[in-house]
Amino acid sequence: MWDRAQQALMESMTRLLSQVASLLPGIVALVVALLISALIAWILAVVLKRSLIGIRFDERANGWGFRSLAEWSPSKSPTLLVTRAVSWLIMLFGFLVGIASFDATLTSQLARTMFAYLPNVLGAVVVLLAGTIIARFIARSVLIGSVNMNLQYARLLSVGVKWLVNVLAVAMALEQLKIGAGIVNLAFGILFGGIVFALALAVGLGSKELVSRSLEREAAKSTGNGVEEPFRHL
Amino acid sequence: MESTPQAARERIDRIASADLMVGVLHNGAAFSMVRQALEKLPHVPRTVIIQGNGLGGADGANAADAATPSEDQTVFVVPWTLLEPDTSIAPVENVANAYQSVLSAGDKLGVRAACVLASDLQTVTSQWISRLIQPVLELGFDLVTPCYTHGKFEGLLNNSLISPLTRALYGTRIQNPMGPDLGISRRLFQRLIGPEQGAKPAANQSHALASIVPAAVCSGFKICQAHVGVRVYPPIDWTNLSSVLAQLLGPVFLDLERNAACWQRPRESVSPPSFGERMALSEDKGLVDVGRMLESFRLGARNLLEVWSLVLPPTTLFELRKLASLPQDQFHLPDELWARSVYDFALGHRLRTINRDHLLRAMTPLYLGWVVSYALEMQNATVKAAEQRIERLCQAFETAKPYLVSRWRWPDRFNP
Repeated sequence: MWDRAQQALMESMTRLLSQVASLLPGIVALVVALLISALIAWILAVVLKRSLIGIRFDERANGWGFRSLAEWSPSKSPTLLVTRAVSWLIMLFGFLVGIASFDATLTSQLARTMFAYLPNVLGAVVVLLAGTIIARFIARSVLIGSVNMNLQYARLLSVGVKWLVNVLAVAMALEQLKIGAGIVNLAFGILFGGIVFALALAVGLGSKELVSRSLEREAAKSTGNGVEEPFRHL
Repeated sequence: MESTPQAARERIDRIASADLMVGVLHNGAAFSMVRQALEKLPHVPRTVIIQGNGLGGADGANAADAATPSEDQTVFVVPWTLLEPDTSIAPVENVANAYQSVLSAGDKLGVRAACVLASDLQTVTSQWISRLIQPVLELGFDLVTPCYTHGKFEGLLNNSLISPLTRALYGTRIQNPMGPDLGISRRLFQRLIGPEQGAKPAANQSHALASIVPAAVCSGFKICQAHVGVRVYPPIDWTNLSSVLAQLLGPVFLDLERNAACWQRPRESVSPPSFGERMALSEDKGLVDVGRMLESFRLGARNLLEVWSLVLPPTTLFELRKLASLPQDQFHLPDELWARSVYDFALGHRLRTINRDHLLRAMTPLYLGWVVSYALEMQNATVKAAEQRIERLCQAFETAKPYLVSRWRWPDRFNP
């Protein structure tokens, strides 16, 4: 009886050890893949960092209108943000390569799913980026236009428009990522409608003075009593 | 000539050749004025007038007669509405296109000189035309720019920006570099519309008006000025001021880029020869209402600082912020500050620091700030004193020119 128990123990140990031994190449491959990707990530990060510093990327990004990029960046440097993002992407790639080397169905499926999801992530990033750029552009147009029209609530109008576009972009990005599509649509509708309503109220209440001034001017013009400004610009 | 109406093209083909082309952009009695102007010349040149259908009263009849010219006839009329009635076209671009049309037609007819009348014909006289064409036809000048008699608060965009900038950069003291009424020689307009050899034209065609003086100065053409008389300035459309500013300044700043090698050379300015005598204008004194413009400047200083900070250095921003907090009676925008700001905007336009249209429109409150400062200073001054004031402004632009040159050459040394 003792012999049989000993034999069973030996067999289970052999099975366990052989399973561990069968995993070992995969683990080694994962470690090697991670080491190599870390090395490549480090080299690329150094080269990229030097190049970006060389072209004064931080200042240029500022000039291109991505001022908020610095706020999100480590040490307020968009250069660091880009280099770290690239490094982590390479590390992630190395990790996926390492996982795939186990040749296990689950890990292969994980890798496949992740790769299949990648276009959605890229799409969402593009939508967000485009949304930010468009929001900034339109907000600036509205701000300058409103100031030139002497509207006291120019800043409010500009911020409102910016948030409208940003909210729209975030909703589209979440839709792209297939995250809570129903909730996002509902929340977007409520938020978008809310912002439009708030803006309409703000503009409506704020432009009372503008409308009355304009009507006064028109009335003065039609009665001929208006004092004409002596300024001729052209 | 592709945009020439069929009837006008056929008429030009029938006329075949001429010595002088007069393009009249507005409707009115131009025919008799041109005839009177031509009679003052020793030899009456074969002349073609391009104008829309509104030649007015007796002129209409003359125009009809001119449609079948007899041998002794020297003045022909080509009915052609030069200004597009389409309101979607920007006014400045519309005038520039009309210029191009006149110059192209003149080139086709082989004229020696072209004269474009873009002002309202209410104040245009035969003297205007003769003074604009005589120096070209008889004295060999290539460009005759007008000197108008106007009130101290008229032509402000030109007086505060276009003229001082042109004078400081190109070294020529031209009162109205962008006309809009000009006399141009064949040599110059051929250069403007592009020579027949197929070489690259000197100026961007749609921006011809801003490019005329820079092209003439940089290519060494002979320039003079003519005192033509009193001009009626159109009243301002407040909702459109920023568009007008952008349309006027955009081509001027583009020309700075194009002619960078040319304008960096002159160190001081000289006055071109002037013809005719300037007319006196009745003095208009009294308080002016600058409240709206001052409010616009203050609103800009409150809200547009983030846009201005992309272009202007911190010291300028500080000065502007300080200025915005001053009460109206103490408000004064120094000429040096204004000149440097204009130069900074020109550089921002070149470097595309922000969208160019945004940049130019963001300048409107700043410009209105200068107008307020000028108006408060000049409201009780004579026209003569106002002219001296503009002269000081021009000198400030000249003094600040090294600042622009150094920033233009080494824009990275200083980053606001």
